Amino acid sequence: MAKPLSNTVDKGAANRGALVSDFTRQLVPILPLLVLIVVFLIWPIVNVAIMAFEDNYGNFTFDNFVVASQGVYAQAFGNSISLGIYSALLASIPGAVFAYIIESRGSEFLKRIINSATSVLANSGGVPLAFMFIAAFGAEGSATVLLKAIGLDIYAGGFTLFSYWGLVLVYCFFQIPIMVLVFSPAVQALRREWTEAARSLGASKWQYWRHVGFPLLFPSFSASFLLLFASAFSAYATARAMTVGTIALVPLMIGTLIDGNVIVDQFNLGKALAIGMVLVTALAMVPYLLIQRRVARWQK
Amino acid sequence: MKRLGFKLPSAGLFIAVLLAGVFVLLPLGSASEYSFRTPALGPGTYGWDNYAWFVSQPDFGTFITLSLLLAAVAAGITLLVLVPTVVWLNLRGQKLRPLMEFLTLLPLVIPVVALAIGAQTSLPVELQSNQYSLSFFYFVLALPYTYRTLDIGIRAIPLKTLSEAARSLGASQIKVIALVLAPVVRGAVIASVFLTIALSLGEFTLTSLLHWQTFTTWVTVISQSNILGAIALSVFTIVAAFALLLVVGLVSIRTKRRQVTEE
Repeated sequence: MAKPLSNTVDKGAANRGALVSDFTRQLVPILPLLVLIVVFLIWPIVNVAIMAFEDNYGNFTFDNFVVASQGVYAQAFGNSISLGIYSALLASIPGAVFAYIIESRGSEFLKRIINSATSVLANSGGVPLAFMFIAAFGAEGSATVLLKAIGLDIYAGGFTLFSYWGLVLVYCFFQIPIMVLVFSPAVQALRREWTEAARSLGASKWQYWRHVGFPLLFPSFSASFLLLFASAFSAYATARAMTVGTIALVPLMIGTLIDGNVIVDQFNLGKALAIGMVLVTALAMVPYLLIQRRVARWQK
Repeated sequence: MKRLGFKLPSAGLFIAVLLAGVFVLLPLGSASEYSFRTPALGPGTYGWDNYAWFVSQPDFGTFITLSLLLAAVAAGITLLVLVPTVVWLNLRGQKLRPLMEFLTLLPLVIPVVALAIGAQTSLPVELQSNQYSLSFFYFVLALPYTYRTLDIGIRAIPLKTLSEAARSLGASQIKVIALVLAPVVRGAVIASVFLTIALSLGEFTLTSLLHWQTFTTWVTVISQSNILGAIALSVFTIVAAFALLLVVGLVSIRTKRRQVTEE
């Protein structure tokens, strides 16, 4: 997505003073947005980061992080991370294929409907989603009964909706729409001319995908994948509605700490857990940035 | 991109839409089946009782209105702040684009629960006690999606050429924006407003952790007292949000088409 701005760099080297004033002049119109991002996102999180290093009396300490990386909290991090990976794995490929088919063949009307539907489904979650799945795939759900009637007993293998894998299944319901939503623009950017050019040069369908389509879509695909990871890793509402505390997940632990339902020795433990989550998602972005840099080199 | 006349859908498209239909309708349809059950009238009977139950709840109207209002304010912020900013970045502010791309990605890196702690501990009380602060949070949380949708849509349009052409033909700055730029960016703008509205209507985590009550948190509370009613309410929230966005989307296609034929 990010393209290098190489064409503006050499100009700047020639006239650094002009560049600086140019930069500030460009900054003014985007100030309202910057202010909103700082007040409603950056300022709160910076405060969390600072307080995560404070003990109950405001002195500097690493203790919150020490506790946050042990025992049940370490287990919760493990669960949340693997939940993110599995649900991203399950949702990314069907979502990408669907986005490709709709974008390349669907009519304008169909695209509108899909767009409305994915916008809504991507933001569904929490209690409504939980109830929907219980009504459908619960032990007495109508889909369960229906599937059993055609000889498919989903409860045969000891499956329950309230387990880890049940949660992965439920997450797919908003993860696949998120994938469709974020991957569609990448498909739109694939120009028809490229397919035609490849074909007129004698490329087979496979060769087109191997040398043109896939390399062009891969960066967006991996970026979307990481986004799905982050979404499932930090999902709170659905996990809360589905598991009732049976599976240790970091967002749920932070939630109970905020609500004051659990009293811990360290007031700022929740903040250390929160910063731990930020670190995990930030680390997940590193491969994305590396891919972007590689792509930027040959996209010039 | 315009389709001329009716074209038969290809097999791939047909299968994809069919599978997507099963994917959505299996849970949604099953939940609907449950939601129409009326056990009080005997097994196997169906009716609107469960829907009547939640509609008759005294707070139903209050919270629906509130949630729609909060979503409208968030959509307003998207229109008034984000759209001009992205247009500006594409016209003149090229150097700031990497910065904005980074900043608008942050809401994905920062989990909402983490933001909730920060908001609770660091924002001034006046801001925290104002319910409309939620709209600003919703706007920020939607940024990773809305910014990209707008940026990709607007980048594809030669804004600079269009506005220079209009200026050279004697149009004022306001005319350029209202008559030239606004119509061509409409598609991307509508999509980003959609995303803001959908996120605002469905947001639960931040709202509940900051101890506000909106429609989503009310659903969570009320669903504890009547299971079938709660399922009916769940079906309603998803279908109603979809219907709302669909109507907005179709109206916008129609106005676009009318403009094209008028020309």
